[in-house]
Amino acid sequence: MARSAKTALVLCLDVGFSMSNSAPGQEPPFQQAKKVIQKFVQRQVFAENKDELGLVLFGSDNTKNNLAKDDQYQNISVHRQLMIPNFELLEEIQNDVHPGSQQADWLDALVVCMDLLQNETLGKKYERLNIVMLTDLNTPSSPDQLDIIIGNLKRAGITLQFFLPFPVDGGGSNPPHGGKALSREQQQGLEMTKQVMMSLDEEDGLEEVYTFSDAIEKLSVFKRVEKRPMAWPCTLTIGSSLAIKIVGYKAVCEERPRKSWSVVDAQTHQKDDIKRDVVYCLNDDEETEVQKDDTIQGYRYGSDIVPFSKVDQDQMKYKTDGKSFAVLGFTKQSMINRHQFVGTQVLKVFAPKDDEHAGVALSGLIRALDDLKMVAVVRYVYARNGNPQLGAAFPCIKEKYECLVYIQLPFMEDLRQYSFPSLENNKKYTPSEDQLSAVDSLIDSMMLVEEDKDGVKKDLFKVNHIPNPQYQRLFQCLHHRAVNPSAPLPPMDPWLTTALQRPLAVATRCQAPLEILKKKFPLKEVVKKKELKTSKELFGNSTEEPDAKKAKVDEEEDFNLADITEGSITQVGSVDPARDFRTLIRQKSLPFGEVCQQLTGRIEQLLGNKNMNYYIKCIPCIQTFREQSVQVGNADHYNSYIQSLKTSIPVRGLQEFWDMLVQDALTLINKDEVEGSTFSSHDAKQFLTAGEKKEEVVAAVVDDTGDVDDLLDMM
Amino acid sequence: MAQWNDYHHEDEDVDGEERDESGVDYKSTGRDSLVFLVDASKEMFIMGEDEEPSPFDMTMQCVRSVYTSKIISSDKDLVALVFYGTEQSKNPRNSFKHVYIYHDLDLPGARRVQDVDGLRGEKGAQVAGETMGSGNTNLGEALWCCSNLYSDIKLRLSHKRLMIFTCRDTPHGGDSERDRQARTKASDLKETGVVIDLMHLMKPGGFDVSLFFCDVVSPPEDEAELGLQMEPCGKLEDLQKRVRAKEMKKRSVARLNLCLGEGMNVAVGVYITALQARKPNAIKLYRDNNEPVRTKTRLYHTQTGSLLLPSDTKRVQVYAGRQIVMEKDEVDVIKKFSDPGLELIGFKPMERLKLHHHLRSAVFIYPEEEMVTGVSILTLLRRCSVRNVFALCKYTRIRNSPPRFLALVPQKEEVDDGQAQIAAPGFHGIFLPYADDIRTLDTPQLPTASESQVDKMKEIVHKLRFKYRSDAFENPVLQQHYRNLEALALDLMAPEHIEDLTMPNVNMIDQRLGSLAQEFRDLVYPADYNPEGKTAPKRKPAEAAGGTEKKPKVEMSEDELRGHVQKGNLGKLTVPVLKDACKQFGVKVTGTKKQELIDALTAQLTK
Repeated sequence: MARSAKTALVLCLDVGFSMSNSAPGQEPPFQQAKKVIQKFVQRQVFAENKDELGLVLFGSDNTKNNLAKDDQYQNISVHRQLMIPNFELLEEIQNDVHPGSQQADWLDALVVCMDLLQNETLGKKYERLNIVMLTDLNTPSSPDQLDIIIGNLKRAGITLQFFLPFPVDGGGSNPPHGGKALSREQQQGLEMTKQVMMSLDEEDGLEEVYTFSDAIEKLSVFKRVEKRPMAWPCTLTIGSSLAIKIVGYKAVCEERPRKSWSVVDAQTHQKDDIKRDVVYCLNDDEETEVQKDDTIQGYRYGSDIVPFSKVDQDQMKYKTDGKSFAVLGFTKQSMINRHQFVGTQVLKVFAPKDDEHAGVALSGLIRALDDLKMVAVVRYVYARNGNPQLGAAFPCIKEKYECLVYIQLPFMEDLRQYSFPSLENNKKYTPSEDQLSAVDSLIDSMMLVEEDKDGVKKDLFKVNHIPNPQYQRLFQCLHHRAVNPSAPLPPMDPWLTTALQRPLAVATRCQAPLEILKKKFPLKEVVKKKELKTSKELFGNSTEEPDAKKAKVDEEEDFNLADITEGSITQVGSVDPARDFRTLIRQKSLPFGEVCQQLTGRIEQLLGNKNMNYYIKCIPCIQTFREQSVQVGNADHYNSYIQSLKTSIPVRGLQEFWDMLVQDALTLINKDEVEGSTFSSHDAKQFLTAGEKKEEVVAAVVDDTGDVDDLLDMM
Repeated sequence: MAQWNDYHHEDEDVDGEERDESGVDYKSTGRDSLVFLVDASKEMFIMGEDEEPSPFDMTMQCVRSVYTSKIISSDKDLVALVFYGTEQSKNPRNSFKHVYIYHDLDLPGARRVQDVDGLRGEKGAQVAGETMGSGNTNLGEALWCCSNLYSDIKLRLSHKRLMIFTCRDTPHGGDSERDRQARTKASDLKETGVVIDLMHLMKPGGFDVSLFFCDVVSPPEDEAELGLQMEPCGKLEDLQKRVRAKEMKKRSVARLNLCLGEGMNVAVGVYITALQARKPNAIKLYRDNNEPVRTKTRLYHTQTGSLLLPSDTKRVQVYAGRQIVMEKDEVDVIKKFSDPGLELIGFKPMERLKLHHHLRSAVFIYPEEEMVTGVSILTLLRRCSVRNVFALCKYTRIRNSPPRFLALVPQKEEVDDGQAQIAAPGFHGIFLPYADDIRTLDTPQLPTASESQVDKMKEIVHKLRFKYRSDAFENPVLQQHYRNLEALALDLMAPEHIEDLTMPNVNMIDQRLGSLAQEFRDLVYPADYNPEGKTAPKRKPAEAAGGTEKKPKVEMSEDELRGHVQKGNLGKLTVPVLKDACKQFGVKVTGTKKQELIDALTAQLTK
């Protein structure tokens, strides 16, 4: 279904020097206007419709248009003929459209645009011709031709929109809020704008004049592409003798993006470089591959696997005899539970446009149902090969129209009848009066629908006015990536984040009641919470939400594993050198000296990585080394290692690590601890002072790494 | 439930949100198991009054319906059928007397359904009498035997349930030794995580649970439930309802925090109570042995032929001729807005919830049982319900799932006469549409009905009233599918007939309406109006004049056509003309492309 109806639109941007003027701290009108254009073009690009777009700049330094002759129509440049907009245009606007140093008459520019539109749409079919004028009206223009221009616009059926830096009704002599007062040219221009717009459309003409800031706001929302509603003509039947012709339309349905991602090769970015291949293999050890032709179709029936060929299936399957909207009967609306609605769409059912009689008949049904508070239970079949549905047709009477609203109801197989422990009759769950009133005041403070002074109800948070954030974000990222292919994705648009949050007014209002609520309902599951949180931190990278239980099990398993393997440790491994060291010392299967050597070997290996995480892993090793040495009563290995370590510190650039040792007071083993030591306790302390100067800084570092330390300990 | 996963064959990139909605992975949670332990004593075979089926018969019907529903909706669950109080014994090594394992703990299949069918009705009672007979009762042994069933299973079981069906409140007739033994064995079972339910059936003089069974069954999930369901079942329907409510383990699709405000979180479970069951996907079998084959999907490079890892690929979309490239991770992370959870935005009066704001099946929100904070949810529930408001929440189910807004509608608990829960207390989460999800329609301007017309329709509506029950309609497509499979599995001549409840009972409707339909027609339609006509009335006269069927507009003579063929300018004719020509000369064409038509015609006429 190609849509022939397309729009031709010319953007007419004032780049004259006055557009660069702005009050201090304010964005110049030119920049604002450029943003409007960018957002607009962006939107058109992603909409991928057939609408064509041209760009005319006026006040430009150069002149390029068909009408330019002598000194007529100077400084007006047709930057782009009518074309379907693309990213090149976006880039041109970004890089090549700059404020000029000239001024040009906006009426002249308008004439150039009209000429452009008329020449280029000649012989083609367009639904709408439109000119969008973005200017500050700050050039003198001659009003004598205004009537002719208006006449031409009307004759050619061209519509006009104005985007100005100031509001149209804030004009006159009053300066717009805080800004500069309008110049005489601007006042005159504004009058002329009004005149043009009013003569094109007497009533709503001025509604087509926007301010830049308004436009930017509105255009920030990526508008979805309007889908033509597909009509579904059918006949509503009640028994064999009553029929009403109807047409159904999808009214509510989860909108999916029109395009999906396709997979390409990471290097070449070519789709054709990748092929997806499905192979079938037997469930044996060799995974023997079999040909697709050697497979047949089957279904599971509980424990049985039943071969069931496509042909047989088609023969035996349930068949419908085509479209249907047949009433099975009527029931009270209250018998239908809203939470049991199934399906993914809502249909609105009308009588055909040109069929008055069907209209009257359907209206009779709708009104009867509405009066009686009943619904029709209906068998719905979309088409011959469609599956039958059971659904409810609700009456819906609006000011402008009447219709049936059809929503699918569940089959018996769709229902899960769970029963939940009762909350009502449970003594554990009896709220006190205090608690009830705390909840009440919370509800009061968080009401999203409120009445204003005139008794008009206002909804502060209409979900059905929020554009689907998923697609807003998607298009924002797509656009960004298209224009900046190598840059990381942009942060979320602030307006989008705000749109999804509790309205500010409500958020402020509910603060106090929330505090009270917190006091009335003390949270007792704090312990459990915390546990959950740590495991979350631990497994934060996994895609699934970890639950506390799982984490616990993992930990336990880890522990068991450690126990089991402990018996078979023959050397100091790299996973947990300190533990291995301890075990080996205890086992006494190897001489003390050799075990120490293995440990120091591991420590050296770890230090070779020069990374804080590895340093952190070394500290317990050295701690254990010291501990065990004291226990065994042999300080030689430890002391000599630490001494040699110290001498190597400057050469190997391990000052950071040394500072950590100092912080943990891992001194030499002194005489008091082990008899054989050659150091007094003073000597041992003195030994470390080399690093004392830096101690303060170091302390901070160690504190920072505390968490990591814990973390590694746990793992 | 896991099978629902398979029903969606969506593109990898069309976000599989719904797929996740229902996704409960059996690999991680293990399987459910259910053992029916049925009393086979003489008392069970006594017919009720008024032709009521015997307790045994009712039980068998129940077991059958659980079998079939398991096959349809959760075909990974294990089920067993064991009789106690039998004369014969059948169990491994026959170490337990008077215990007859009819079906081991396994997936239910067609054969088993047939087996259970064989035990139904009078004939079934006879069969049961012949194969098993009625004898001594030793519930302790029976329970022991059941516990062996569980322990023999190598699979990981997530939920173990045992249902005792009996109409005898003192199974051992006062033998305290056996009573004690049964109690001990029951508590052993309960210790290993088996939930024991009593499905007690009506017996003359009433069933007194307190005599014996109160010590055998598992304590209810909370005290409040104790009061419920202590009445024995007298009707099949009640029994089925009771079994169904217990038979399925509730599984939450997510456990989340409902955040009422900064620092005020309540843990809740998200459940699905209605979701369309679909026909499962076909599986591929190897022709030679009918064994399922596995499919492996591989990505490889077309030029080099080397296998590609997912990391060797990127994702693209093309707009206005430009290819926009992103990493897979970026595509995923774009969908992330906030951490999983429910975030309270505020409250709205119920009337603000529009009927037609429906996108997909609702979810059910219930406070996590083990958490103490249930009370705050309950209070919220009560006040929302009293004040007739709903809570508006932002719902993020998992990481990287974009937010949706839910209307949390309070649902008060309701119980029926038999004290069975009809409606559970909690919140229904109704998915609300975004602006993009609502389509603008051109609404036709048509006249409305007059009062007399409306009144006549009211009479019609009145005649066709019925009480809708959501569980009254079976899905004919699914039922037919499974009957077909059943027939093939059991080599039946033809599948069992299904009753299609979605078909209107036209005869009954016509009969009830009598002359009303004609009267309404007379009121709204002019005499020459045919509401069942295929086209709009305006075009009718033209069509009538044109004859009954659309005739080929341009009848071409054979000579003419041959001329075209010879000159080779068939291509100048239009597709409809060519089609008509094909029909005229009885040329069969498979395609509808112009060249295909021309080729077919040329071939025919140059013969």
